[in-house]
Amino acid sequence: MSDVKDILEWDIDGTSKAPTKEQETVSVVSKEEIIAGSEKRPKPKKSNEAIFKRPEGMHREVYALLYSDKKDPPPLIPTDTQQGYKRMKAKLGRCCVRPWKWMPFTNPARKDGAIFYHWRRAAEEGKDYPFAKFNKTIQVPKYTDQEYQLHLHDEKWSRSATDHLFELCERFDARWIVIEDRFDHLSHGKRSVEDIKDRYYTIVNKLSKVRSDPNLSNRAQQMYDAEHERKRKAQLNRLFNRTTEQVEEEEMLIQELKRIEFRKKEREKKAQDLQKLITAADNSSDLRRTERKITKKKLPITLSRKKDQDGNMKQIPETGGIKFPDMKQSGVYLRSQKMKLPSSVGQKKTKAIEHLLDELGIPIQPMPTDEICQLYNDLRSDMVLLYELKLAHANCEFEMQTLRHRFDALAPGKLPSTSILTPASLASLAKPSDKVEDKSESATPPEAPSSPSKVKKITEIIDVVATTPQSPAITVTPQRKRRQAAVEQANLMKKIKK
Amino acid sequence: MAQLSTSEYGSDSGGRVKGITIVKPVVYGNIARYFGKKREEDGHTHHWTLYVKPYRNEDMSAYVKKIQFKLHESYNNAIRAVTKPPFEITETGWGEFEVIIKIFFVDPNERPVTLYHFLKLFQTETNLMLGKKTLVSEHYDEMIFQDPTLMMQQLLVNTRPLTLGPYKHETDFNDLADKTVGTLQSARKKIRFEIQELNERLKQSKEVIANFKEEIKKLEEQDIQKEKDVVPHVADT
Repeated sequence: MSDVKDILEWDIDGTSKAPTKEQETVSVVSKEEIIAGSEKRPKPKKSNEAIFKRPEGMHREVYALLYSDKKDPPPLIPTDTQQGYKRMKAKLGRCCVRPWKWMPFTNPARKDGAIFYHWRRAAEEGKDYPFAKFNKTIQVPKYTDQEYQLHLHDEKWSRSATDHLFELCERFDARWIVIEDRFDHLSHGKRSVEDIKDRYYTIVNKLSKVRSDPNLSNRAQQMYDAEHERKRKAQLNRLFNRTTEQVEEEEMLIQELKRIEFRKKEREKKAQDLQKLITAADNSSDLRRTERKITKKKLPITLSRKKDQDGNMKQIPETGGIKFPDMKQSGVYLRSQKMKLPSSVGQKKTKAIEHLLDELGIPIQPMPTDEICQLYNDLRSDMVLLYELKLAHANCEFEMQTLRHRFDALAPGKLPSTSILTPASLASLAKPSDKVEDKSESATPPEAPSSPSKVKKITEIIDVVATTPQSPAITVTPQRKRRQAAVEQANLMKKIKK
Repeated sequence: MAQLSTSEYGSDSGGRVKGITIVKPVVYGNIARYFGKKREEDGHTHHWTLYVKPYRNEDMSAYVKKIQFKLHESYNNAIRAVTKPPFEITETGWGEFEVIIKIFFVDPNERPVTLYHFLKLFQTETNLMLGKKTLVSEHYDEMIFQDPTLMMQQLLVNTRPLTLGPYKHETDFNDLADKTVGTLQSARKKIRFEIQELNERLKQSKEVIANFKEEIKKLEEQDIQKEKDVVPHVADT
């Protein structure tokens, strides 16, 4: 408690000098004491100051923070130009009160000149009724008997019905909904808003064509397509009357459609990539050979120039594989730095490369002479290309599997009739073991000294994805899933096409 | 001589000579020898020498200011600099570790080159079987001076031989290079062949897929046609 008192600058003895309201409520203090207290205040302050002399070792700044408030000199320049609370008066509105008056008025929109009364500002007495301007009237054209007989005759509309319609138009200023409501359906037959509008606009258009009346012919042709309107309204009605299930189904279908389209796009992109890869594989072999020939001449400047020219002339599409950075800036570097894989090669590819190198008995850091460096980089680039091809191939096989399932779903049992499909590759797909045999026979290149089994290995080494079905046991479930997916998709497509 | 030329060419060392590339091959590594037993006082087991040598017979100090070897922290003054040939450190120890070798050049405008070497002490099984006493673990690399400064170019070109006698390395790098080229070329042939083959297969499967798609499209159209035929029939009954 004494702390609080101390903070509030009360006398610790309880002889009460603080003028705060709390004091009044907490302890029994008389008013006189409070009033007197405010005058007495300077005294304890002074004593406090004496007590709060800076203790030794306390930093001046800390002391100033603790006890500087009351010692500050008063500001020399007045900061507040306002006079204080006394002058503050609420100002509501800018001028004197404007009186209201109960007064009569006539509505110019009315023809009967009826007089009504209303409250209005006194200052506005005698002015026009402001809402009269909202009473818009239109000029409904009139037709003569002759005109009607000549041009305006219609099977569906009798003369009397037409007259009735135009009368209503005149009366309600072509407010169609009202006209439809007021139309005498009993004596003139049931007419919809569209029928009414159609009749009206055809007549107006015909009259404007026939007459040389500037009032009518100056107006633009009123286009009105009743059939379209009817369809539009029916459509809106149907949209409005859908059940929740229907809405949900529609949303689902739309989503599905989007997904299918997305997949299609992806597939197209993949096919493009594949094409790129194939051209890269076709091109890179002859390209690289020429490159290497030039490098052997060891002419750095001319070399790089020639490379550029070659690149421009041949218009090589992006070759798959690795792009090693050209070290062109001046300074010292180690040849071995040239063999560093650029960071653009992902971890999977790096792993695959290392694996392949290991398999082929090539050290990961071969002796970095100029020739070896070039060869080594080309080799790894080719390895990546091979990796990509393998990846693409796996994707192809996967796609072929799905296609087979779809085919199967569409025409069960007809699958073996594959005369249209290239027999060799399909056969190799159907039986992986055949493929391997087939390969090992043809795979041995005349120059390759190693056994065919080793050659076979190289591609097998690369573990791309587990999509290629190797043993039927493992692939049973995914195959079924795929089949299901294929069937589902086919059904969906049908639904959408409907 | 080095100091002289620095002042001769000024602070920019005569500017860079564009279009010139000078290659200086080096050999770096270590040899190690087993004591035959563990030394009592400090537990060391091997005697090793770490070195950087020019591949060709020439005095590297003409253009190399110093070579700094950063040993394992457990050695006293783990960072040691050698300013003249032979650029080597001889020590004893019991463990293998990676050494960071930094080569500083006479011209301060050329940034130092860093080599990493894993100091080897222990023989492989096969070498032990062969009864080899000294272990050699050395590598070949090439320092490439792209557009050297004028001063550096002079220093690089005018070098003196290190010894008048024959200059040889522990490893026959010529032979190694030839072998490596051989394996690389054959590996490349294999990969190339694989690429071509896979490419062919890829083309084939692409065709197959296209055919498949065509067929499926036909079938689907048939299906739809069928259904259209069927639907009114159902409606009648």
